[in-house]
Amino acid sequence: MTDEILRLQHLQKSYGDHQVLRDISFGIKQGEITTIIGPSGGGKSTTLRCINLLEQPTGGEIEVHGENILAAGYNLNAYRAKVGMVFQQFDLFENKNVLQNCMIGQELVLKRSKAEAKQIAMHNLEEVGMAPFINATPQQLSGGQQQRVAIARAISMNPEVLLFDEPTSALDPEMVGEVLAVMKKLAETGLTMVIVTHEIGFAKSISDRILFIADGVIAEQGTPAEILDHPQNEKTQKFLHNFRQNAF
Amino acid sequence: MKSKFRWIALLIMLLTGTALLTTGQPVQAAKQSTLKIGMEANYPPYNWTQTNANNGAVPIEGSRQYANGYDVKIAKRIGQQLHRKVVVVKTEWDGLLPALTSGKIDLIIAGMSPTAARRKAINFSQPYRKSTFVIITNKNSKYARAKKLSDFKGAKLTAQQGTLHYGLIKQLPGAKRENAMRDFSAMRQSLTAGTINGYVAEDTEYESFKTANRNITAINLNKMSGFHVNPDEAEVSIGVKKGNDQLLTAVNKVLAGISNHQRQQMMSAAVKQQPQIKTKHTNWFINMMHRYGGMILGGVGMTILLALVGTLAGFIIGLLVSIVRTMPDPTKTGNRWLLNFCKWLLAVYVEVFRGTPMMVQAAVIYYGIAQFWHVNLNRTIAALVIVSINTGAYLAEVIRGGIIATPQGQFEAASALGMTHNQQMWHIILPQAIKNCLPSITNEFIVNIKDTSVLSIISVSELFFVGTTIASQSFQFFQTYFVISMIYLIMTFTITRIFNLIEKKLAGSRNYNLMANQVQVGTPQDGEANN
Ligand SMILES: Nc1ncnc2c1ncn2[C@@H]1O[C@H](COP(=O)(O)OP(=O)(O)O)[C@@H](O)[C@H]1O
Ligand SMILES: [Mg+2]
Repeated sequence: MTDEILRLQHLQKSYGDHQVLRDISFGIKQGEITTIIGPSGGGKSTTLRCINLLEQPTGGEIEVHGENILAAGYNLNAYRAKVGMVFQQFDLFENKNVLQNCMIGQELVLKRSKAEAKQIAMHNLEEVGMAPFINATPQQLSGGQQQRVAIARAISMNPEVLLFDEPTSALDPEMVGEVLAVMKKLAETGLTMVIVTHEIGFAKSISDRILFIADGVIAEQGTPAEILDHPQNEKTQKFLHNFRQNAF
Repeated sequence: MKSKFRWIALLIMLLTGTALLTTGQPVQAAKQSTLKIGMEANYPPYNWTQTNANNGAVPIEGSRQYANGYDVKIAKRIGQQLHRKVVVVKTEWDGLLPALTSGKIDLIIAGMSPTAARRKAINFSQPYRKSTFVIITNKNSKYARAKKLSDFKGAKLTAQQGTLHYGLIKQLPGAKRENAMRDFSAMRQSLTAGTINGYVAEDTEYESFKTANRNITAINLNKMSGFHVNPDEAEVSIGVKKGNDQLLTAVNKVLAGISNHQRQQMMSAAVKQQPQIKTKHTNWFINMMHRYGGMILGGVGMTILLALVGTLAGFIIGLLVSIVRTMPDPTKTGNRWLLNFCKWLLAVYVEVFRGTPMMVQAAVIYYGIAQFWHVNLNRTIAALVIVSINTGAYLAEVIRGGIIATPQGQFEAASALGMTHNQQMWHIILPQAIKNCLPSITNEFIVNIKDTSVLSIISVSELFFVGTTIASQSFQFFQTYFVISMIYLIMTFTITRIFNLIEKKLAGSRNYNLMANQVQVGTPQDGEANN
């Protein structure tokens, strides 16, 4: 497992006596694109939030390069900086403009100089096509534009893994394409990504592997072709069936 | 003579009384050279405030004003013989007893009667004046010819609130006891306006009112059969702190050396010298500004200082308190216990200071500190501290609310970048929370401008205190308070505008500039990923 940069081992999460994650185990290899699909409420977001410790897992292990980060004494803030996250609601800092949003983490957490942080932020903003908007505040941007800035903010931290939690679900349909295009471009640079999405077509074209999570467990996993074209699990079949019907 | 005994004085004595028992002989000794005399400097002809040193007036501590009057003349005799320099400490009536017991003043010479209730808290000298009670009425009124107590049947009478005078009306069968009034100036106005037929006062009040209004007369009550006053209450004495027997003996010795004739002369002189309403200008406003402009300006300055410093310091206190109160639990049990204890203490602070009137806080803190720690706080500093702590308690809750109201996503996005809790607070959460709280902070500032008026309890000469002084000297009640209220309005209005501007600035420009060299505005390779 030496080429795995991250591995979840029998991960569990409960809120009170409501067990949301029962037993989640999977590894993430360098440069791999993992997509998570599944019914709403199945535990996809919780899985991502456990990976970057926005939620504290109640059982199991998270190993980074073979080391368990849930053990006492591990520097969690340094770990979080290595695991980027892009949220469904973008969550850009409302008191900062576009450029500052992409610089603040670099300066405070990675201790980069202002000049270096700015250079990296500008480069990434250009990558996502938001460089002309560096002086705008989040409230002045459309949803698609905000999400592209959020992606630039995340990659400016040079994360080892970037997590996406339904990055296009809050967008108007005409803006979905611009965000997916940016993600595709990122994937081509070799960035390791874990994506929760309902964009089945996009998942098929970009993923190395797809996990189907329902009721707090990985019900099925495999290549896009295996999961999307020849699903074995009954739940997966039903999910995809419903999905295709709704999307005509 | 006044026998006012209001609840605040009682409360402070209750709170501080225990210290008396435990600490024995406090303060003094340090400055033997000055003799600090407590008085209202607002009760002519016994005592009043003037702006110059004429007629042998004595400086008022911490101001550029002077006090004079019968009390001051007596005080100077005492000072001369004890070889101590007399300084007047201008103190609200309710603050006199606590000021004495806490050692802020050496003597009360304020036209005060040695009532039984007061004797429990302090000692009194031999009387330095015995007075005659009269009904002051208009010369042409039918009560002007009253010969016996029952002749006042049907008369609408009043007296000063909280004084023995007011109780005396009960001895006049059939007289209608109207609501008591705040001070003599108010009663003079009411008599002139005809809303009352007369009021109970001392002969000295008649002497002084006579010079301003020739149409009044006084009917002596002491001579009427059936009229009875407790001798203790018909006299005025000098208040001395319990246990300070040396000073008491010395004061009594000086008083014994002043003959009745000399006393009468001093009182007549005081009545002649007391502030008169001189009208150089016909316009009352110009006249008021001419005489009191400096005082008013000083009051405005003090009010703004208190409100500004109080709001700024209160903001910092509130910020720190709300930061601590929103800290997440640390993982170590010991630290968690400590943090929770701190949070609990701060919650108590907020509750206590939001749950009690600032006036009471001021009295308790100002007199309490003197009593328990023997520290004589500077009045202005005490006032600043009180407004700051009080404002801090309010703003702590306002800012905490602002922090809690900041969307959860802002915290999470900052966490996901690896920011520590402190970094999240200072760089992301607080700037947003404070911006959202700005209207409440403005409001608190405006409330402070107005509410610092209650600090007159510790005799801080802010605008309202100054207004009260002017009104009781000039007898122009409506005019004075009207001017004062206009000044308050101008101040609050100006501050509102200034803060509106700041809020606009913080909201930022509604437009942003596209960077000129970047032409491309749309999406990169649109459609490539569309399925
Ligand atoms: N903070 C929470 N407290 C209690 N239950 C929660 C909390 N967050 C999520 N859940 C529950 O966990 C389950 C999984 O949620 P989530 O991971 O968001 O699902 P998905 O992202 O797959 O739609 C849901 O039943 C949800 O109600
Ligand atoms: Mg979800």
